[in-house]
Amino acid sequence: MSIWILRLAAFLYLGAAAAYVAHFAKPRLVRAASIGQVLVSIAFVVHGTSIGFACSEFRGAEFFTLRGGLVMTAWLAAGGLLALLRFYHLPAVGTFVTPLILLALGPALFGRAGEIGPVPDVVRLPALKLHIGAVSLGIALFTIAFGVAVMYLLQEREVKGKRFGALFSRLPSLESLDRLTQRLVRAGFVVFTVGIVLGSIVAQKAWGSFWTWDAQLIFALAVWVLYGAMVQLRHNGVHGRRYALLTLAGFALVLTLIGIGQVPGLTQHQGTFQARSGGAS
Amino acid sequence: MKDVVLVGLSHKSAPIAVREKVAFSGDALRDALVHLKSHDGVAEAMVISTCNRVEVYVTGQGSYQAARRFFLDRAEEAGPHLYEHCGPDAARHLFRVAASLDSMVLGEQQILGQVKEAYGVASAAQAAGSFFSRLCNRAFATAKRVRTETDIGRGATSMSQVAVELVEKIFGDLKGRSIVLVGAGKMGALSAKALASLGADRILVTNRSPERAVALAEQVGGEARPWAQLPELLVEADVAIVSTGAPHYVITPDLVQVAMKARRNRSLCLIDLAVPRNVDPACSERSDVYAYDVDDLQKVVDATREARAGEAVRAEAIVEAEVMAFAAERESRAALPVLAMLRRQAEEIAKAEAERTLAALGEKLDEKGRRSVEAMARAIVNKLLHGPTARLKEAAGSGDQVLPGAAAALFGLDEPNKEPRPAAEGPGPTGQVVVLSEKR
Repeated sequence: MSIWILRLAAFLYLGAAAAYVAHFAKPRLVRAASIGQVLVSIAFVVHGTSIGFACSEFRGAEFFTLRGGLVMTAWLAAGGLLALLRFYHLPAVGTFVTPLILLALGPALFGRAGEIGPVPDVVRLPALKLHIGAVSLGIALFTIAFGVAVMYLLQEREVKGKRFGALFSRLPSLESLDRLTQRLVRAGFVVFTVGIVLGSIVAQKAWGSFWTWDAQLIFALAVWVLYGAMVQLRHNGVHGRRYALLTLAGFALVLTLIGIGQVPGLTQHQGTFQARSGGAS
Repeated sequence: MKDVVLVGLSHKSAPIAVREKVAFSGDALRDALVHLKSHDGVAEAMVISTCNRVEVYVTGQGSYQAARRFFLDRAEEAGPHLYEHCGPDAARHLFRVAASLDSMVLGEQQILGQVKEAYGVASAAQAAGSFFSRLCNRAFATAKRVRTETDIGRGATSMSQVAVELVEKIFGDLKGRSIVLVGAGKMGALSAKALASLGADRILVTNRSPERAVALAEQVGGEARPWAQLPELLVEADVAIVSTGAPHYVITPDLVQVAMKARRNRSLCLIDLAVPRNVDPACSERSDVYAYDVDDLQKVVDATREARAGEAVRAEAIVEAEVMAFAAERESRAALPVLAMLRRQAEEIAKAEAERTLAALGEKLDEKGRRSVEAMARAIVNKLLHGPTARLKEAAGSGDQVLPGAAAALFGLDEPNKEPRPAAEGPGPTGQVVVLSEKR
């Protein structure tokens, strides 16, 4: 059931992306941008409904898997995008972020549903739900920041390289893109920090210790340190191109963090709580 | 559309020495229109006079001679520079002018306003009547279509516009920021003024000679600073416009290096309008420093012109379509007087008969009943005339003159062509402009 609703949401995101791309290609089509925004709003609601159905279908266990995690992240990214468009008049951001949302939905739409084993007891912990939510939101914000940083680098190439081509007139000003990247990184960092703290609380309850030298946990720490450093570096005057490149590097690390969860035997983090807690007792 | 005649000269046909002799504005323009109109055989007249063109549009027999005289009386030497069009060609020319396809800078926006003003003056002087009202409204609508359906108005066409566009793409706006004007070049002052439109807080001016700095500061509405403060000014301001007469680099990479450190790497935009250059091109090697010279700006101007020339092809197609539509509308109007008379006659009969019936009935009917009778009379007229109306409109569209004549004879209408067309329209040309443009 939930997968059909999700497919509908993906279809709406596709329409939104098409509308935003049309607006980007032909800025005279002002309507296209508003159509895009309306479609994202509807898709966001439909997507949320799908997540609600998934929760009742799988009792939340779906969100331990990559597919579920990405579905959640994509949903939060869509919400973040809507909030952003509400406060900034930058429809071009929609052009760059809606395709990322579609990409994140890919595995859930086209991949084969894996076996979801018995639901572990630890799912009932409210801290775990919050942990998953906060980490997903943090990653969603980092994803939007990545999209905006790409826009910055493209625009910088135009402005600095004196090209003044089609992108020059369509992309927003460097200053606004830079400021937006920085705000997204800062917000993402705060949320991600909360997620990590909650994660260690869950780990303490499930595994008996706040910290384990697990591959995925190490990468999570690396992500946290890098974005934390970026927040600090901002105060030291790092901005513009270097900041955008750091945002790209941070996102690469985020992707690695997600990827590690898919390598069998490399991490004990996702979906193996029962085994670990069983072993500990 | 035989009767509209255009005689004129423009930047394409005549040198400025001739144009300035025939150009005029304000009261002189109104007097000239009245004078034109006083000629025998001139029905309506309109004159567009800008620094790039003087064009006389007239209708009526003998209008061509009057329009030619208009120029030759002012300057004998204008003769060989004049171009003349009539009928659809004259309309096409006006549409192209209004849509800025005939401008020196293709797609510039001023000309439409100037044409509107020319029409306003002509109609205020009662030189322009219903024909020019329709013609000009078509021209304005054409210009609007061209502007919205093509990209002919896009891009920057002057160096100071390019500078504004660049700064906009770097900083967004300049609220809370300052511009520093280094040197007293004329282009620099122009650009500083243009940039101030982005909301800059202050314009700081510096020059080797303090007196000139003060004078220039007054001119652009800024504050003068001593030349020795240049390094600090590069920290204070976000945009530097450099145009000194110095034959060497005034802004060097070392100077920028120091400034950027003090700025904590906040972006700095250097616009070099001087030849020879005043800003060392090596300055832009540092990230967050954006340096442009005259060639860079000129390249953008050239690119815009090229792009606009491409868009002009599409704009010409729109103009052509509008000229055709105008001609068709014009022809269809020829048959409309018959239709109008037919309707008027029928409605008068219906009204008279309804009144007679109501008078005969006296007080037997209440208000509702009376209204029903009137409505019935109107309905019968409408039903009866529905077919003939459609047929007559159709004939008008295809230019058929036989059917209107037959209809006039059949229904016993007076000669339709006796009624002069311009008088059929109401006065108040400015009001018409609004109404007609809303219809589109």
